[in-house]
Amino acid sequence: MTGIEGIAGMKKTGRTGKREATIEVQDLNKSYHQRKAVESLNVSVFPGEVFGLLGANGAGKSTTIECILGTKKPDRGRISILGMDPGKDRKKVFERVGVQFQEANYQEKITVEELCEVTRSLYETTADYRPILQQFGLSDKLKSKVGELSGGQRQRLFIVLALIPDPEVVFLDELTTGLDPRARRDVWKCLSRMKEKGLTILMTSHFMDEVEALCDRIMILKKGRNIFHGTVQEAIAKSPYEKFEDAYLWYTDGDEGQMKYKGEIEEEGEWNESI
Amino acid sequence: MKAFKTMFKTELKLSLRGMDMVIFAICMPLVILVILGILYGDQPAYEGAGYTFLAQSFGAVVTIAIAAGGVMGLPLVVSDYRGKKLLKRLKVTPVRPVMILAVQVGIFALYALTSLGLTYLTASLFFDLRLGGSLPAFLGAYFLVMASIFSIGLLVGGVAPNQKTAGVLASILYFPMLIFSGATLPYEEMPPVMQRIADLMPLTQGIKLLKSASLGVEYDEVLMPLIIILGIALACTGLAIRFFRWE
Repeated sequence: MTGIEGIAGMKKTGRTGKREATIEVQDLNKSYHQRKAVESLNVSVFPGEVFGLLGANGAGKSTTIECILGTKKPDRGRISILGMDPGKDRKKVFERVGVQFQEANYQEKITVEELCEVTRSLYETTADYRPILQQFGLSDKLKSKVGELSGGQRQRLFIVLALIPDPEVVFLDELTTGLDPRARRDVWKCLSRMKEKGLTILMTSHFMDEVEALCDRIMILKKGRNIFHGTVQEAIAKSPYEKFEDAYLWYTDGDEGQMKYKGEIEEEGEWNESI
Repeated sequence: MKAFKTMFKTELKLSLRGMDMVIFAICMPLVILVILGILYGDQPAYEGAGYTFLAQSFGAVVTIAIAAGGVMGLPLVVSDYRGKKLLKRLKVTPVRPVMILAVQVGIFALYALTSLGLTYLTASLFFDLRLGGSLPAFLGAYFLVMASIFSIGLLVGGVAPNQKTAGVLASILYFPMLIFSGATLPYEEMPPVMQRIADLMPLTQGIKLLKSASLGVEYDEVLMPLIIILGIALACTGLAIRFFRWE
């Protein structure tokens, strides 16, 4: 493992550019009751970049995102979004940042239109949500209850909500988990469109095909530590494998048997999708 | 302000869609009032009393909606929105999560005031209600009672670990309060032992204040209920602010 950490360290110094990062995290540490969830993490996401935060469940992805957003208080570390401290300049920062959390957060009987209207009312400057809904294929759902949408429609709606503030930065936490292959493809298309518009995106995902298709740079976490940081191609090149998924599994767990088993399951998912 | 208005409108629509508050805060007080009106009509409260039984009950019946919103509605909605991570979601917007709590308090206050208006109209149109008290004193007492009962609800909703616990606590508070504090069963008709127990409930004290203000008579002693109600409002608000769980 020390070899990999060394590589990641090199990458990091090589990458510390002159451009100002949109999201800058320095020396982030967070523990829950003695257990370290995130340890000495440094992340820089530059303007227009799609940055993928990867790792198994419990590797610290969500904790990292929540610490960056300020919904969890880090034990140590410096965080800035768009050059501001999200803790201190909350109002200013979140005027320009869109967030989608892992859990669905909406009222039980609310309709799509009502949820969009309420979301719009929270911000000073907003984009009109109707064209965005149309772009995401949801314009006929305005009067539908959010709870009655299909999983894929709901996830697309949550991207729309994250886009309503007309943000410069978007945080997407496990956007496609639990979706069927077609719905995932639809969500990818939407994300690519956002990327083309120059949005900066920080996302987490469990699907390596998704990460390959969308992310400019990635960071792989294991037990709260950065074990790889760079592009997908670099991740493959530094591993003994040719496929990114194999490389990812090689990074995230050393145990051969478990890795093979996991690989089989994930491959099955991929196979289904290509049908 | 824009956010408050839009949220208020939407949350009110959602609440009306749920119907619970329409039943417990709007219909129930009216039903109780009509029953009391039919049973006692314009009989005097007691022999030689200067006011009717119905006038005496008015100050009690108007608290039913306050109790329904305060100790049933508020704890449930607050714990529900915490459980659904709605409060957390608001943390990553320019608006503070406390906004949605203010909206909910506003909605339950609106239900209570609507109920107050309807109850008064019904009583004066159909049962010839005459109140000899002072309106400013009555409204002062009314909002004070509302503040104290709502603060209990915010505290329960704010500290309950989940919606299930909040629901149990709300029921434990709501039903005894509804039945034994004199809001539905007239306090004056209770045997003395029961009155003693009822006196322990904050709403009983609130109802004493309201009756005194609406009838314009010195009902027992006003100072003690006033201190109790004020104390509860301050203590529960303070505790809720100190121990409120956003997640």
